[in-house]
Amino acid sequence: MSFAVAALLIVITLLGAPLFTVIGAGALTGFHREGVDLSVVAIEFFGLSETPVLVAIPLFTFAGFLLSAGHAPQRLVRLSQALLGWFPGGLAVISLIACALFTAFTGASGVTIIALGALLFPALTQAGYDERFNLGLITASGSLGLLFAPSLPLILYGVVSEAPIDDLFVAGVLPGTLMIVLLSLYSYWRNRKLHYVVTERSWSAAWAAVVAARWDLPLPVVVLGGIYSGYFAVSEAAAVTALYVVIVELVILREVPWRDLPRIMRESTVLVGAILAILGVSLASTNLMIDTGVPQRLFALVSQYVEGPTTFLLVLLLFLLVLGAILDIFSAIVLIVPLLLPIAAQYGIDPIHLGIVFLAAMELGYLTPPVGLNLFIASHRFEKDITEIYWATQPFLIVSLIAVVIIAFWPDLSLVLLGR
Amino acid sequence: MARSVETWLVVVVLGGLILFGAAQILLRNVFSISFAWGDGLTRLAVLWLGLLGALAASRDGRHITMGAVGRLLPQRLQVVALVTADVFAAVVCGALAWYSWMFVSDSREFGDVLLDGIPAWWLQAIMPVAFGLMTYQFIAQGISRLRGSRAALVAHL
Repeated sequence: MSFAVAALLIVITLLGAPLFTVIGAGALTGFHREGVDLSVVAIEFFGLSETPVLVAIPLFTFAGFLLSAGHAPQRLVRLSQALLGWFPGGLAVISLIACALFTAFTGASGVTIIALGALLFPALTQAGYDERFNLGLITASGSLGLLFAPSLPLILYGVVSEAPIDDLFVAGVLPGTLMIVLLSLYSYWRNRKLHYVVTERSWSAAWAAVVAARWDLPLPVVVLGGIYSGYFAVSEAAAVTALYVVIVELVILREVPWRDLPRIMRESTVLVGAILAILGVSLASTNLMIDTGVPQRLFALVSQYVEGPTTFLLVLLLFLLVLGAILDIFSAIVLIVPLLLPIAAQYGIDPIHLGIVFLAAMELGYLTPPVGLNLFIASHRFEKDITEIYWATQPFLIVSLIAVVIIAFWPDLSLVLLGR
Repeated sequence: MARSVETWLVVVVLGGLILFGAAQILLRNVFSISFAWGDGLTRLAVLWLGLLGALAASRDGRHITMGAVGRLLPQRLQVVALVTADVFAAVVCGALAWYSWMFVSDSREFGDVLLDGIPAWWLQAIMPVAFGLMTYQFIAQGISRLRGSRAALVAHL
């Protein structure tokens, strides 16, 4: 790609053109320069229909959208409050766990902040936490849980890297837990002088909350149990999950009226379409880059300056933090991962570990300007100035950063459950 | 009208994916029946759903963009920036529609088949159609932005 074309594409991106048209234009002009017939771009895009497990993306996304349309968020908060609310400082921990679980299901598209934030924010205030802490906590929790199955970015990384998705689901468990633990410790330390207002411990209330959530509780079992028992594949688990949520929300609990179903299906498909459009055109642009030897040249360049896996990981982290600040996680996965994989392999980095590091680092991108999605959503949702939200999330950002560094330099944390 | 056709197609394809996916598991585990073309059909449905979703995202203005910088511009320039982006998107989608059309007509000429004998071009035809409609969508969006800003200007005067 000539510099003039590249500069033009960057300008047009900043003006607000959809990213998939920018990548598409890059692929079209690139193949044109190589003298290849341009219908190759269409052929590559059609490759979407030859990609296995992709079907899991629309199905899980729909299940997540449908869950948040019903009262599942309320039940989740009620249940965790009943189980942990009597515990001093428990509510902050509850918020972190509830948000992580919810995000895993809804794919960090901002739904968590909107659906759970509205419930948790007043509850936290009532329990005596200060407003700034609450804002930071909710905003930061909006993307927590990306490392837990069946999160969308985790599946997309598997699709793009061709790493087994069930392995990725296992690999994310400990690193994701580490993030929650570190953030919980920080919450304790920050509020060490706070006089907590706690709810009374009541077994009957806890039992009532469990009963209320009886239809939601089997969900993790359906998703994970089905996959790990080998009873069904990831894409089948996605179909079963979607069907299960439809039956629970529309037939058994009747929280979502049937007439709302087309709207919810459309909304979830809009998100899926936005992601798949980018994936489709980047199948073409990735192929172009491989044909023209970009990965090799990139590796030659990198290996001049970077020696050994430790330095590589350090440079990688810095790169990913900058990347996360300017590019959303889905585009970053489809554009960067194909280039990154061969380079990381040269340094002996396991592709599963690479995926966990990639996603964990990109998770921070949700909290950093200029494109930090969580900042915008929280600012909109809580009607606060974006700079106020930004400063409130700073400490959470730093703690998450520490977690990411640990995850990057301690590969066993990702790989031990896989027995590698 | 066009919007609701789009929505109902989404309902049919997504609903079909859910029901067919669940039915396949049931048939395989209980009756030991499986369809050789089941996987292929599912994957094609995902392509269809993705394109329908991309079309819906174009209509709703919900594509993934990096337009945060554009929002910092003064109002008048913002319209110029967005209309330029719309024109660009329309041109790229037009090109994608044209080359998809080439791809589909080649496949028709060669008599490619998918899923046990269905002409491939029937299933591929969604591509030029969807990209063509997206082209229209981006042009319409640009025009309505220009109209809106003119109306705002007139009201201002």
